[in-house]
Amino acid sequence: MNRKDKRPKQRNSSASQSTGPRPDKSKSKSKSEKRGDARSPAPGGARASHPGPSNPKRKARRTGHNRGPAEPRLGERRVQLPRRPIDAPPSVIDERTAVDEAGLSDTDIDSEEAFELGIGARVVPPTTQYGEAFESAPPDPQERKSGDVEAQIRALEARLDGLIRQRHFADGPADAVAQDGEPVPRGILAKTDSSPPAQIDAGEPPASDFISRKWGRSALRSRSEEFDDFGLDPSFEQRVKPVVEFLYRSYFRTSVEGIDNVPAEGRCIVVANHSGAVPLDGLMLRAALRIEHKQRRDLRWLAEDFVYYLPFAGVFMNRVGAVRACPENAERLLEKESIVGVFPEGVHGIKKLFQERYRLQRFGRGGYIRLCLRMRAPIVPCAIIGAEESSPLLYRLEGLTELLGLPYFPITPTFPFLGPAGLLPAPTKWRMRFGEPINLDNYGPEAADDHVLVGRLSERVRSSIQAMLDSGLRERRSVWFG
Amino acid sequence: MMLAERGRLGAPPARRRVVAVTGAAQFLGSNLVGLLEEDPNVRAIVCLDSEAPTTAGAKSRVYNLSLTEGLAEERMTEILSAEAVDVVIHLAFLDSPTHSTAFAHELESVGTMHLLNACRRTKVHKVVMRSQTLLYGAHATNPNYLSEKHPLRARRTESFFADKIEAENEVLRFGRPGQGRLATVLRIAPMLGPTVDNFVTRYLSHRLTPTVLGFDPLWQFVHEADAVRALRLAALYDVPGVFNIVGDGVLPLRTVIKLAGRTTLPLPRSLASGLTTALWLTQLAEAPPAFFDYLQYICVADGALARKELGFEPLYTSREALIDYANAQHLRDVRLLSETPA
Repeated sequence: MNRKDKRPKQRNSSASQSTGPRPDKSKSKSKSEKRGDARSPAPGGARASHPGPSNPKRKARRTGHNRGPAEPRLGERRVQLPRRPIDAPPSVIDERTAVDEAGLSDTDIDSEEAFELGIGARVVPPTTQYGEAFESAPPDPQERKSGDVEAQIRALEARLDGLIRQRHFADGPADAVAQDGEPVPRGILAKTDSSPPAQIDAGEPPASDFISRKWGRSALRSRSEEFDDFGLDPSFEQRVKPVVEFLYRSYFRTSVEGIDNVPAEGRCIVVANHSGAVPLDGLMLRAALRIEHKQRRDLRWLAEDFVYYLPFAGVFMNRVGAVRACPENAERLLEKESIVGVFPEGVHGIKKLFQERYRLQRFGRGGYIRLCLRMRAPIVPCAIIGAEESSPLLYRLEGLTELLGLPYFPITPTFPFLGPAGLLPAPTKWRMRFGEPINLDNYGPEAADDHVLVGRLSERVRSSIQAMLDSGLRERRSVWFG
Repeated sequence: MMLAERGRLGAPPARRRVVAVTGAAQFLGSNLVGLLEEDPNVRAIVCLDSEAPTTAGAKSRVYNLSLTEGLAEERMTEILSAEAVDVVIHLAFLDSPTHSTAFAHELESVGTMHLLNACRRTKVHKVVMRSQTLLYGAHATNPNYLSEKHPLRARRTESFFADKIEAENEVLRFGRPGQGRLATVLRIAPMLGPTVDNFVTRYLSHRLTPTVLGFDPLWQFVHEADAVRALRLAALYDVPGVFNIVGDGVLPLRTVIKLAGRTTLPLPRSLASGLTTALWLTQLAEAPPAFFDYLQYICVADGALARKELGFEPLYTSREALIDYANAQHLRDVRLLSETPA
């Protein structure tokens, strides 16, 4: 802020830096020459003042400005090539030079301040009242008449643009030069420059916040991002949603118990049993939390590696919310305070035969327990009943597995005899039970390296899910009607 | 306020530096030279390449030198000590795969060795190397965001990767702690932008862009300007280590092609791998069959470390970099932009 205080107030200085010529050398030169001829005593616009803030020349420019307006700058040496990449993408700047041509630049524009405000070296700073500006402009009635309204419109346009830019460059690039001429790492300028300028004119609404929210770069970013970090495609999910909801509500008639055990906010790991030759339990678990939970929580489940080797299946799973099972991904998800669905049985869960149904397989090496300990996330055990019967695995053809890159080749009552249609699940009644959350907070993160403890905790979770499965199965009257 | 912030990167160099840039006439090199020309912290730039960079200015001293020539090491030692170079930015790597693998090996692997030996014999205290995130390799078993600790699993049978991995290992050996020397390796994601030309831009410039049926991996890009900015940061601040330089966000390949305004040509995997081999051998494809993995599986790196330690914030997201490229490419398509990319 001290920078602003030092700024000399120069009235009637005509060193107009109010143009941002294209990176194109020849063009900018010829343009500024023209302008210089037209009216301005100082063809200041000819200087390579590009709109980007990332300009180590900033200091140089400032001193040049103080030296006085009469110095021609056409001959100033410029290094062309690096500028283009630093620049914002070339935009249409020609219109804005009209601000100059309408005589605005010959007024009390403190171009230095204009730069300070981040509105680029090409527009009128917000401290300038346009009425006053025109008042004090050199009397040139003919030009005034023709260009007055148009110039005002253009100036306003340019100013809005500048305000957006200010926001966007407030967190300016790393190579911006601080006052002392030393480069400062990114973020420093953001801190100093992002606070709104002290003297905003009452006549001009300080719309920068609103504009940057709505049209600024960050707004555009948040608007245009269609895919999240892990490849979920919201628009695709929206298209699949009717099918998923049909499966969830009408086909499997899923009933859910204990959904309140899933915390309303914060990270959490839902651990469930895995089943079915064609596993749909992850998708249904996600649907359950979306539909039944009060906070409509967003669950991402971890899918086995082999899915990602398969054409179509991998992409489909990815777009509807599955994430490849690995500690890095799970940690990243938990850091974003989302719910992660884990099937610790992994492939062993879905490739077990029908006769082993609802008997939990080994829980891997307890990686999910280590994850919970490290990330301090509670575990919600979940038992899914009905999924085993919807696509029962009668036999595994081992011979074909390697050929197809599958962990197993399923033989179900309907597959492969009915062709691909045989992979459709049977309409069994599904029931999901969420148990009491298991909190591991009394162990520190260092407990993750204690293999014995991890094994014991894993066994505890496993037995609690097995107990929920057993009791659920005892209560069940019918596979089809629950 | 400023000092507190700067603590993150440590003090800026007390002395104005002399920076040597290898591959100075190439895309990254010439842009970096141009950027450093404007930088008050750089006293002089020593440009080492077989031709002069177009951006060389008053601070630059241009030496005609090829890393593949016989006496490269001797000449380099002379130049580095005569100019009292502090930092070497090693950019003499091929951006795109080439058919002349023997030359590429001489340049990238052997050339790096010569350069590092020359650095050891002089007072160069830091080497910054440009590497690529492609070296992590595309695998179905990759985590969605690869950290710098992840092993480099690109196919070693492909010399494009093997040479660069060797070079990277050499540079990291150079910077091993205890010797008073530093090494910074920047693994840069595929670069896009209005002026860059590499195999990715050429891949996206076809009207029909081949993909693999049933696969749609996530891709990420970095804008060319961000890549140059990252190199500058690495040159001026002594932050040793390996950093991923990536743009924010990911895009599925099909969306990438759509945004570039092209049509996807999905080919079944069995057919496509044979076809790529044939096209590569007839010099019609941009990349050898090893690159086929990247059309199927994910290879996306995490830029968090560079953000934290190097203070590098990308100005462009992956999408913005792609759109910036596509805009320029459209102009080139309709011949309104005659400038050929570097």
